[in-house]
Amino acid sequence: MKAARADFWSGLALGGLGAYIIVTASRWEYLGADGPGPGFFPLWYGIAMAGLSLALVFFSLKNPNSDLIDWSGARRAFGAWAALALSVALLKIAGFAVSFAVLTFFIVAVMYRRPYWVAATVAIAAAAGFYVVFALALGVKLP
Amino acid sequence: MKRVALAVLGLAVALPAMPQGFTPTRPVEVVVHTGPGGGSDVLARAMVLIMEKEKLLPVRAQVANKPGGGGVVAAAYLAEKKGETHTIGIFTGVWLTNPLTSNEAKVSLKDLTPIARLLLEPAVIAVKADAPYKTLGDFVSAAKQKPGELKQSGGSITSRDNVVRQQLQKVSGARWQFISFPGGGERIAALLGGHVNMMVIEPNEAGEHIRAGNMRLLAQVNDKRLAAYANVPTLKEAGFDVTPVPQVRGVVAPPGIPRENVAYWEGVFKKMSQTESWKKYVADNQFEDAYQNAADLARFYDDFTGQMRGILQEAGVKTVR
Amino acid sequence: MQGFAVALQPMNLLWCFLGVVLGTVIGVMPGLGPPATIAMLLPLTFLMNPASAMIMLAGIYYGAKYGGSTTSILLNVPGESASVATCFDGYQMARKGRAGAALGIAAIASFIAGTVGVLGLMLIAPPLAKMALAFSSPEYFALMALGLAMVVLLAGRSMVKALLAMLVGLWLAGIGTDLFSQTSRFTFGQMELLSGVDFVVVAIGVFAIGEVLTNMEGREAAKALPVPKGIRNLLPTLQDLKDSRFAFANGSLVGFLIGVLPGAGSTIASFISYGLEKAVSRRPEQFGQGVVEGVAAPEAANNSETGGALVPMLTLGIPGSSTTAVLLAALVLWGFKPGPLFIPENPALFWGLVASMYIGNVMLLVLNMPLVPLFAQVLRTPTYILYPLILGISVIGVYSTSGSLFDVWLLAGFGLLGYLMRKLDYPSAPLILGLVLGGALERALRQSLMMSDGSLSILVSRPVSAVMLSLTLLILLIPLFNKFNAWRLKALDN
Repeated sequence: MKAARADFWSGLALGGLGAYIIVTASRWEYLGADGPGPGFFPLWYGIAMAGLSLALVFFSLKNPNSDLIDWSGARRAFGAWAALALSVALLKIAGFAVSFAVLTFFIVAVMYRRPYWVAATVAIAAAAGFYVVFALALGVKLP
Repeated sequence: MKRVALAVLGLAVALPAMPQGFTPTRPVEVVVHTGPGGGSDVLARAMVLIMEKEKLLPVRAQVANKPGGGGVVAAAYLAEKKGETHTIGIFTGVWLTNPLTSNEAKVSLKDLTPIARLLLEPAVIAVKADAPYKTLGDFVSAAKQKPGELKQSGGSITSRDNVVRQQLQKVSGARWQFISFPGGGERIAALLGGHVNMMVIEPNEAGEHIRAGNMRLLAQVNDKRLAAYANVPTLKEAGFDVTPVPQVRGVVAPPGIPRENVAYWEGVFKKMSQTESWKKYVADNQFEDAYQNAADLARFYDDFTGQMRGILQEAGVKTVR
Repeated sequence: MQGFAVALQPMNLLWCFLGVVLGTVIGVMPGLGPPATIAMLLPLTFLMNPASAMIMLAGIYYGAKYGGSTTSILLNVPGESASVATCFDGYQMARKGRAGAALGIAAIASFIAGTVGVLGLMLIAPPLAKMALAFSSPEYFALMALGLAMVVLLAGRSMVKALLAMLVGLWLAGIGTDLFSQTSRFTFGQMELLSGVDFVVVAIGVFAIGEVLTNMEGREAAKALPVPKGIRNLLPTLQDLKDSRFAFANGSLVGFLIGVLPGAGSTIASFISYGLEKAVSRRPEQFGQGVVEGVAAPEAANNSETGGALVPMLTLGIPGSSTTAVLLAALVLWGFKPGPLFIPENPALFWGLVASMYIGNVMLLVLNMPLVPLFAQVLRTPTYILYPLILGISVIGVYSTSGSLFDVWLLAGFGLLGYLMRKLDYPSAPLILGLVLGGALERALRQSLMMSDGSLSILVSRPVSAVMLSLTLLILLIPLFNKFNAWRLKALDN
């Protein structure tokens, strides 16, 4: 993938967060009868966040070559994360052992291109291992 | 036709033979809303120990910590376990006030099955031992002369500490600051360090400091004097006509459980409240035994929330229900 | 002295040993730090007499702390909040093949600092407690500000990004129910967020899962961390010990003093100690890349903080940290009443506790030093097995502390954030600092203003807070100073 301008976009995103904070904080009490209210602190760090993000965006526009990053591996990383998210979603329905086995299988087989039987063994062994050690031996609750 | 009649007859004979009472058959889960070491957690563990000692349950009981949101998560957890007969929870006053002030606290005691009220936690009003106030009247008049200058340390503004303050301020016209600290330890440190002038504190927290001579008690927040503090006046005796808002602890169960289940739990806790171990525990920790069965508890709940709503609104706290 | 006699009985030594082992095993689990471990094993202790139980708890405590450091160094997974600072240099040392040395230094630093902590507890507890009471909200605010100023020292290449990360941390700290007004802030209507975002979830997500995701980028199995070979890398060298001598002192003192303050815990202590070490070091630019004193300082602070936290607990009955809160509850359950009269009335128990802490300390060192090379072999595991295991342990660790699936979702979310932060070159230390200190900072500020009726002068009119705030200001000015110097040199060149 082609390089993107990290600072520019992240600066914009953080600026957005800063703006959101400022808007929400201004709806709360700034200075109450007894002292500063819940809106006091967030307002200030929201302003700081917005200000600094603008500075970041500004600098990134001034030096267009300073923040190029290599996105080539990102697809795999996002894929791994998607697998993780999926297995978390599975936790409620299938329980830990199954979801974890699925995740492990995916990582070993797809990410690391090991043969399927290796992936399956590792997945089952790891899931079983966790179950035995934690659920049975230590009595820790698993999802 | 005959076959149907026979079937109905058979059922009529079989029905009474079905189990009438309830007994637990697997481990019981006791839900608390604090993490390990917190107030409800300690109470629950002590309770479990007493129940084992007095053989009140035929199965094991385990404490499940469901901290979060000051009780909201635990309450929601219980509400989700509809019909579950082997789970109970320990509730405290915050379970009753959360739904009043917090939008996210959707589960109130009315959505759960009340079982029993167990304890009242009294409180005392304490100042540092070298403070110039010998009675509550001294403190309040000093506050009246310098409005907003004296300070009290306590929990959040919906806590009992602040409720006492609101009531006293209303009836005397004095005004003093309330500074929130997240933990009992920090509140005590603020008082002992001289950074605040007064605090409302539970007797079992203050006990050791009083014995060591670091703190002095001005009054007790109660209707009648506790045995351990026979020479400390109550609020009314000190000249302030306020009805103390009680801080309670009790037992609830998930909604939708069968009547035998409720009766069973009621029986267990009624028995427990009469055992020597429990009485000793209550006395050691300077609680007050205030057993109420499920029906009385439900009525208490209504009174309590009504009272709290009024007080909170007067204090300027936004109530959402 | 009879405390030692009690503690040295063979049965009690066995309990201590058991405690250390159990503690290490559980402490290795991310998220299960000393408080949760002690709470889990508390029912076991009811079967013994209080003295033995105390000794076992001391063993568990030290074991759990060390277990936490182990995963920080080997896997960049903080075992508990205070181990985060250890991750910075410890993990980098592991990547350079010096995992054994890092683990060893952690154990040695912990031992030295733990001993200092116990000594402090023994000798100067009561007067120190009185001093601690003089610490009030303005001083806490100044302390937190000083801690946050450490961001400047941890910034790395881009100060703006570091500050932004810190601000995000502050924001995360503010999520939840405001203590003073009971308003819900930034909870997006989710009841699970009412008590805020758990630090452990963020730390494990950003560090551990972020790390795993970053490593997923490579197509072939990335090389596992180099296994340390040779004594030089399996154990700390004499040079390492020499380099760390200031760190030992710094960590022990800072940790102990901060531990004494109720309301300031080991996380703050380890960060301040780390920052201080970097500030006075001769090679500050190497911090974050694997310098041994970067491991020694936070580890030492971490451990002496226990001794410190016991001071308010045993002299006033006020817990100084979450671990001491659990210990307090244990004492109460056994029927004791910790308070100002605890030590005078229960000297045997007190000295037994002190002795058990010494023994726990020694036991930890004795047990773990030989095991260091063994632990280091963990790195041999091929990554395709190791990374799923890390993910699994993280999920279990988070779920077991809170029992909430929502937290596991948060974990995944923060994992993504951690990955993005690495990609976009945002340092994660300031985020953690902001998260840890943000809540206390805001509370202290508001309490101070309430005490002073709205006047900010309270922060500078009190000597201690004035001093700390001036220090903070000084630290904040350092980068400006550096820039000025650089500009001046450039001007001279022209």
